[in-house]
Amino acid sequence: MDINVRKRSQAQLIQLRGPLRMGPAVDSLRQTLEEALGNGDTRIVINLAEVPMIDSSGIGLLVRFLASTKQRGGSIKLVQPSKFAVQTLRLVGVLNLFEIFDNDDAAAESFS
Amino acid sequence: MVNEPVAGSGSHGFSELLNLSMPASIQSIAAITGAIAEILMSLEIPESKRFEIDLAVQEALANAVVHGCNGDASKTIRCRLNKDQQGHIVITVTDPGPGFKPETLADPQQPENLYGDHGRGVYLIRQLMDEVQFDRGGAEIKMWKY
Repeated sequence: MDINVRKRSQAQLIQLRGPLRMGPAVDSLRQTLEEALGNGDTRIVINLAEVPMIDSSGIGLLVRFLASTKQRGGSIKLVQPSKFAVQTLRLVGVLNLFEIFDNDDAAAESFS
Repeated sequence: MVNEPVAGSGSHGFSELLNLSMPASIQSIAAITGAIAEILMSLEIPESKRFEIDLAVQEALANAVVHGCNGDASKTIRCRLNKDQQGHIVITVTDPGPGFKPETLADPQQPENLYGDHGRGVYLIRQLMDEVQFDRGGAEIKMWKY
């Protein structure tokens, strides 16, 4: 999985490319999120436009860090999850835990 | 990785299209799901169903590797794909582990589990596939897509 991280407005924008599933992909995102939290960045936007699928490990990671960021006054917001990713999140009952946006700017500015 | 499909119809009119043995490692899972994806495309299975089968198999293989084999790559797991005369797909994943009791799994949709970072795999498989059956004490999962 390719991961690109940059600052956008008051948030950290994490752009992912590739399937988010158990193994190197989830491990890499976990490390990225841990680094962000370690730097005090609790307002996180994850762009999922190029993530065709998310498995239960990926979902577990997202909800775990959603909880961690919320505890610190922030959140994780999702941008353009694929139709199948939305279906998967809905199937396990966590879709409504997340705010979902059509673009990065809207997601980043929502933290204001 | 060893692929040993048995050509022609087996019992009950099933055709075995895939019979793969692989080391129990995370790295091997993509190889199997890739092989299955190619077969499903050749069968002209609709994209939405292909996604659902792919994810269910991903989950089953991950469970086999992590829980069935404790990530021990010296152990082997097996994945088979069969198709019956009605075009129903059945995928079987078998590991050498001690098995488990599916009925003891917690419901990931319960409020206390919603933010958990694991425990959704079997639940997701049941949502994605039309029928799920555990055999060999839980060490084998059979999944149907109609």
